[in-house]
Amino acid sequence: MRSRSLRRPETLVPLSSVAIMVVAFALIPAYTDSAIAPFDVYNTFQIFARLGLLALALGLTMIAGEFDLSVVGTYALGGMLAVQTGQEHWVYGLLAALAAGAVIGLVQGGVIAGLKLPSMPVTLATYITLLGLTSALSGGLTKTYSNASVTLWVDQTVLTFFSPRSLLTLGLFLLAAVVLSFTRWGRELRAIGGDRRASQVAGVRVDRLIVGTFMLSGMLSALGGSLLSFSLGSANPDPGVQPLIVAAAAALLGGLSLAGGRGNALGLLGGIMAVALLAEIVTVAALPGYVTQLFFAGLLGVIVVIDAPDLHRALVRQRTRLRPEGNPTSMLSRKRELS
Amino acid sequence: MSPGEDLVRVDRLVKSFGNTRAVRAASFSVAAGEIHALCGHNGAGKSTVVKMLSGQEAPDDGAILIGDQVVDLRSRRVAQRNGVALVDQELSVVPSLTVAENLMLGDLRARWINRPRAAGRRLRTLLDSVGLAHVELDRPLGELGIGERQLIEIARALGQDARLVILDEPTATLSDVESAYVYEAIRNVAATGCAVLFVSHRLGEVLDLCDKVTVMRDGAVVATTPVAELTLDSLIVQMLGEAPLRLGRRTAADVEGAEVLTVSGLSVPGRVRDFSIALRAGRVYALAGQLGSGASDVLRAIAGLLPSASAELTVDGTAVRLGHPAGAIRAGIAFVSNDRKAEGLFLRRPVSWNLLATRLPQVTRLGVLDPRRWSEALAVLLDLCGLDRKRTTHAVGSLSGGNQQKVFVGRCLGRDDVRVLLLDDPTRGVDVGGRAAIHALLRDATDRGMAVLFSSTELEELGDLADVVVTMHQGEVVRRHEGDTADTVLLREMTHGASTALVEERP
Repeated sequence: MRSRSLRRPETLVPLSSVAIMVVAFALIPAYTDSAIAPFDVYNTFQIFARLGLLALALGLTMIAGEFDLSVVGTYALGGMLAVQTGQEHWVYGLLAALAAGAVIGLVQGGVIAGLKLPSMPVTLATYITLLGLTSALSGGLTKTYSNASVTLWVDQTVLTFFSPRSLLTLGLFLLAAVVLSFTRWGRELRAIGGDRRASQVAGVRVDRLIVGTFMLSGMLSALGGSLLSFSLGSANPDPGVQPLIVAAAAALLGGLSLAGGRGNALGLLGGIMAVALLAEIVTVAALPGYVTQLFFAGLLGVIVVIDAPDLHRALVRQRTRLRPEGNPTSMLSRKRELS
Repeated sequence: MSPGEDLVRVDRLVKSFGNTRAVRAASFSVAAGEIHALCGHNGAGKSTVVKMLSGQEAPDDGAILIGDQVVDLRSRRVAQRNGVALVDQELSVVPSLTVAENLMLGDLRARWINRPRAAGRRLRTLLDSVGLAHVELDRPLGELGIGERQLIEIARALGQDARLVILDEPTATLSDVESAYVYEAIRNVAATGCAVLFVSHRLGEVLDLCDKVTVMRDGAVVATTPVAELTLDSLIVQMLGEAPLRLGRRTAADVEGAEVLTVSGLSVPGRVRDFSIALRAGRVYALAGQLGSGASDVLRAIAGLLPSASAELTVDGTAVRLGHPAGAIRAGIAFVSNDRKAEGLFLRRPVSWNLLATRLPQVTRLGVLDPRRWSEALAVLLDLCGLDRKRTTHAVGSLSGGNQQKVFVGRCLGRDDVRVLLLDDPTRGVDVGGRAAIHALLRDATDRGMAVLFSSTELEELGDLADVVVTMHQGEVVRRHEGDTADTVLLREMTHGASTALVEERP
């Protein structure tokens, strides 16, 4: 039973990505002079905190069978709003960012569900609009956040490895995992991603769920952006495309499927941790930037192949060809004999 | 509400789609505790009535009354709140969820927090009642077969404590044993005072299971009759307006053609053990087996769709490699899947496009479509299949199930390069008239020298169509029958294998 569930892609894919990266991380002393310090772990979690909420926001919409490209736009706008309205007190900034995220999600979800539009073009338009809006808000400039005590607080070391920011992000992932697995809302979210027509027939209120998911996605992205601004002490109006690509890669490494319905928050956590570990390795080993990209591409390639249905079919075919009489010899030992 | 009183009343419902009037002033009522059948030819308006009752379509005119209250069923959710549970015509469960999650999906009683333990016992009993005692609640549904998935959807509807349960062709994909469990479960639900509306093409089961039958034709209700006053023939007359042509059974002494296809030692791990058959030109062969008997796997393996299968296969004496669908087609093997929507037709494309998709070399010149050849080939095929010329530009998805199947089968006919036609459950979800037409098509194909091999569980079809019936049970051939065989013998071999002792099954 357990081995069967291990072989499912939503478990297998994130496990293998994390495993590969942990091994690479543990081998750091082998290719640099330095040993692994607790600070490296702390730093990995900081990278995780920077992108985690973005990946979670995108991942939730993917599980529902949608794809929210606008997360990075909301991320930038949230960060900017948090700085500009939170100069007096961080709470105002955070509330403004969350409210903006919720409104953006409400509008997008309403349009997508109400007009039965595909989410890609709608959220692409929103993404571009939000980047423009953020630039307009800031006059195209990076804005600094003057409340230094907040900056110090969110990144202080907690329990050697963590900061309040990474702990909050981790907490939200665990919350999402619980909600997805153990609540009606989570079940219905996975259902509409798996088969929308069937869910509708079963009595799931699909439209409401889509609107709710986009609102949540907007709020998570805005929160992620605000936390980043607080941490950096400034807000940048243009985060570039890198965060979106990294978040999408993390979602795929986390065992989610573009077709929707597959995956869970813990897998997603695995995916984003693999990405964070990779970034940290590159930093520690002082490798040039292109190594990250190449390694990333390689990792994604491996994951996509592991996940490929045709590979399974080919393996099954090979196996039956090798032992036509139901010989109990296992695949592995057979391979060894051959080689 | 005591049994016998009208619980659900449909009053002069009207629904049009564009210029077509799908339902015209349909009225009938279902009493509490009654199992009420809704019958009709494909396109008679049954499905539209079901859609209106279950909250998927709003009526243009007329009213739906539940317990003497006029209800406005705006959505599935509202319909459920008014006590209407539905088993949709199309399989409506989610493969990525577990069995338990599917059973709870859309259930109004489901709390915000899942409590699998608390619900576990109820769900377990529910599964047992439809004969799925061997299925664990936490298994992903995607690992189960089509029949088991259908049973889970039925269990979901029956378990919702509804006032009206609508089952739209629930047994179309089920074997007879599985259906028997479903009948029993439906009777139990009706005994609790629930009204049941049962839509089915299997008239035999309608007569056995139901209390009353409402027959629809061309969007209007023809009659509502207590089942005691009906026979199979009178029911068919009500549905069709006239007695349909039933082909006489062909005698086994017909022309004995050359061997076209031989299969020996066909094995599919876990599915089929050592299956062999030789098909002669001009004859129809049937594999009779319930779901899971391996009949469907044999067909798929010959068509090259099961990479794990192994066998010696020849067509007209030439060996064919197994596991390559393109190779099988080149060798002259055409396959009609039992899932025409997923593995057969291009649903959004027009009829013409679908009919000619597999014979492009015949309608092109230098790789470019030749309009003259195209329309000539199309005209021949339309005549052959008995399809309406005016509808060739309509999307196949808009046709009735029977006509869709005609297009699917017709696509493989009228070609010299097809030697063997394999059909997996060729008349699934097809009404009586459409079935007779498809049978006639297959007869016609064999007269032109093809060999036909099909799988079915329906005794009537096996008797009408097949020259040779091979019964299968649990992956093995039980016996080969030529000429007339009693239905009871076939059924026993399909459900119990070769064992002579008749095991008493749960009804």
